[in-house]
Amino acid sequence: MPGIDMTLLEAISVPGARGATIVDWTCGFALDSAGEAWPAGIDATAGDTAELARIVRESAVFGAGHDGGDAPQVEDVIVTTGSAYHLIRFVADALEGGLFVHLWLDREAGNLALARRRLQALAEELAQPYTATEAP
Amino acid sequence: MTPVADTSELPSRTSMLRRLAEERAGGVLERSTGLLYLVDGRVVHAESEAATALGQLVVGSGRLAKADWDEALERCGGDSRRAADHLVKDGQLADGALELCRLTALFDAAYFALAPGGGAARFRHGVTSEGGLGLSVPADRVLAEVSRRRALLHSLWPGPSMDHHPVVRGRPRPDRPPSVRLRELLDLADGERTPADLARALGRPAFHVLLEVRRLAVAGLVEPPRPPARRPTAPTRTGRSPAARSRAPDGFAAPDIALLQRVRDGLEACL
Repeated sequence: MPGIDMTLLEAISVPGARGATIVDWTCGFALDSAGEAWPAGIDATAGDTAELARIVRESAVFGAGHDGGDAPQVEDVIVTTGSAYHLIRFVADALEGGLFVHLWLDREAGNLALARRRLQALAEELAQPYTATEAP
Repeated sequence: MTPVADTSELPSRTSMLRRLAEERAGGVLERSTGLLYLVDGRVVHAESEAATALGQLVVGSGRLAKADWDEALERCGGDSRRAADHLVKDGQLADGALELCRLTALFDAAYFALAPGGGAARFRHGVTSEGGLGLSVPADRVLAEVSRRRALLHSLWPGPSMDHHPVVRGRPRPDRPPSVRLRELLDLADGERTPADLARALGRPAFHVLLEVRRLAVAGLVEPPRPPARRPTAPTRTGRSPAARSRAPDGFAAPDIALLQRVRDGLEACL
């Protein structure tokens, strides 16, 4: 049952990971971070990733089901640049999904699919109670 | 967008907190708006009546029933920190989720405790908090975040006019359906609840609701606050100016009204 520190440390131990931050997307607050800060600085990066996350998360377009069924939640957002991947993974089970983990992944050294799976597991384990994570 | 903080009102309590941090002081910083507890110059706990309490945040997060929280709180004699630890041990609440709620609660309360207009600050050495949030955050970080939050609010809609008044829904905008999260807020906005009431009812941080209410006002989904009653400086020409239209009996509210009122509040904030 990992806490914030352990989750961030595990996030930056993903191959190719450079830095990880937990951000509140309503107000752009960086709750905690580990590893390197993206060159813009932690606050500026948290502000912009939060803005992006909020637009996607509050969007009627992305929040709608394609078949008219139950509206699924947006789970993650990925931004790819020439040198980096930015993975934004929402933490579904804390504060009404109001937080996400932002992982900065080196484009060359990182494996996007692997990092995405690891980050998904970490975000789930962070906020699920002990009994829920112990279930087979 | 680079919001400009109106930091002019910050100095006295800011410098006091900074000095206490340098002295590695322990005790409580008291203002009429809230309390900040320090240990070795670091902020370990914050309280404010305007902020949403830890228990409300934990329940509002969605995974725990209010009855379970109340029961745990009762078992622990009203100590919310122990109640939360109990729930973690029982497997009803994740350690990580609780930690996230505690950090959120601390910065939410610190924002209001350090708000302008809270009067003079006094420090009582050696006082420790009962219960508390069990955190340890550098005072500089708290100050930086509080001033960042003030600037963020200011950048959306200048002036505090919306923060303490009941929230009134605007006309629905079929072209801009609000998200589930915002709809929950709008559904509770009955014209009587203030942002702080809404925050408590929803179990969301009070600062977040201030922010959302301003965003909703910009989008025209919440009525901007009425200007304080004052005599018009020019005779009203019905049907001509947008300002006149906004008070027309048919309740027509175009988005430019919100913009005009933002401009007005912006100008007033500069005075």
